[in-house]
Amino acid sequence: MHEHKEFLEEKEQIDRLINNGFFITDVTENLEGAFVQFSNGADTEQLHIQSASARKYFSFLLKKQKEDTISPFT
Amino acid sequence: MADLTTSLAGITSPNPFWLASAPPTNSGYQVQRAFEAGWGGAVWKTMGDPILNVSSRFASTTFNGQRVAGFNNIELITDRSLEANLREIEETKRKFPDRAIIGSIMVEPQQEKWHEIVKKVEAAGVDGLELNFGCPHGMAERGMGSASGQVPELVEKQTSWVKEAAQTPVIVKLTPNITDITFTAQAAVQGGADAVSMINTINSLAGVDLDTWNTIPNVAGKGAHGGYCGPAVKPIALNMVSESARHPEISVPISGMGGVSSWKEAVEFMLMGASNVQVCTAAMHHGFRIVEDMIDGLNNYLDEKQIYSVNQLIGQSVPKFSDWGELDLNYRVVARINNDACINCNKCHIACEDTSHQCIDMHKDDQGNDILQVREEDCVGCNLCSIVCPVDGAIDMVEAPRQTGDEPMTWNERQSLLSLMPAK
Repeated sequence: MHEHKEFLEEKEQIDRLINNGFFITDVTENLEGAFVQFSNGADTEQLHIQSASARKYFSFLLKKQKEDTISPFT
Repeated sequence: MADLTTSLAGITSPNPFWLASAPPTNSGYQVQRAFEAGWGGAVWKTMGDPILNVSSRFASTTFNGQRVAGFNNIELITDRSLEANLREIEETKRKFPDRAIIGSIMVEPQQEKWHEIVKKVEAAGVDGLELNFGCPHGMAERGMGSASGQVPELVEKQTSWVKEAAQTPVIVKLTPNITDITFTAQAAVQGGADAVSMINTINSLAGVDLDTWNTIPNVAGKGAHGGYCGPAVKPIALNMVSESARHPEISVPISGMGGVSSWKEAVEFMLMGASNVQVCTAAMHHGFRIVEDMIDGLNNYLDEKQIYSVNQLIGQSVPKFSDWGELDLNYRVVARINNDACINCNKCHIACEDTSHQCIDMHKDDQGNDILQVREEDCVGCNLCSIVCPVDGAIDMVEAPRQTGDEPMTWNERQSLLSLMPAK
């Protein structure tokens, strides 16, 4: 088991979107993990995040996003 | 030398070690022997309508050579007359006026019966009363003990009846045989209890004889569930004390018991909110003089910590005890193996590989010796390897430095954030 490797791969996908100006607009969690929707205003992307560490990681990004008052928080 | 004097709802004793209501406090002879040994207080074995007992009564669990890891009994409340008990209480109190004597009492859930026994027991000079709402066997089949203690309304009502008649502080002893002990603790407070004590014994069957197939213990080939106590129950008791201590509606002092076997458990219970502790199994296993070690150990600990009064311990760790949802999801510890101390038994590797997260690898060092190494990035900090390791110092759990994205965040904070998403 190399769960860290799975995390790194998912983190890379998340970071790629964030670095390209995307932010998280929706999170749906279910038995399959988390489906995280990103938007940059024009385009939307969705990532299926399965590793526990990556689910923690996007939560951190969400917190940061809220602190930076980036949409979509009300 | 620290001051060990404690006060539970105004009942003072020269140290926090009380004998719990149980076989060790069955008679004046025993309690006086206990006080001579140094016990600070004793809760007299529960008085009520004298019962009939069976033989045999006790059993214990031996685990890997450790005798009395847990202790089980099917003995009921006192089988001696109230008059005899009260005469001996009076005599004992006269001989040991500085020690706390608490009268444990149990009657049927009727107001006049509670009033009657309260008045009689208090007249003997007890320092307080403990209502036995915890005994799980025998008496519970007759609607008393834990049968009363499992119903918050009955706890509240009977406590209030006792308070109508009592002149001394009333301690309500609670059963752990309930999903959430804070419900019955709150009921006791609402009924006017001056303190609560916990835990009474846990429903148990000690074992089955593999040759005869009889239960252990058995009475002429038949068994019944008993009450379990001793070192094995300490974590259960400590949790119940802690949950009660941090509950805002449980505003009375707590007398903690369940597996207190040395000064160390006493400190743990007091840090988690107990004002004193009660002991039974350790005294039954080692005799009354075990209290000498408890007093010495506690004194030395307090001196080392430069604490002048044992009361300064009470509740100090309660703010550190919370709900799981308030724990930091991003805090990480990882295992680190010290190969100089490691004896290569491979228990850690097997435990991790078979039952945890498969992050301890077997390698060869430069000299071709077997070494074990943790892949720290895959280690979840479960502690299992350090728990099963037979060598002290061979595995350390060390705090992993935080990286970007590892900032503190609790589950509750996370869920709150998610709930703020506009789509929700």
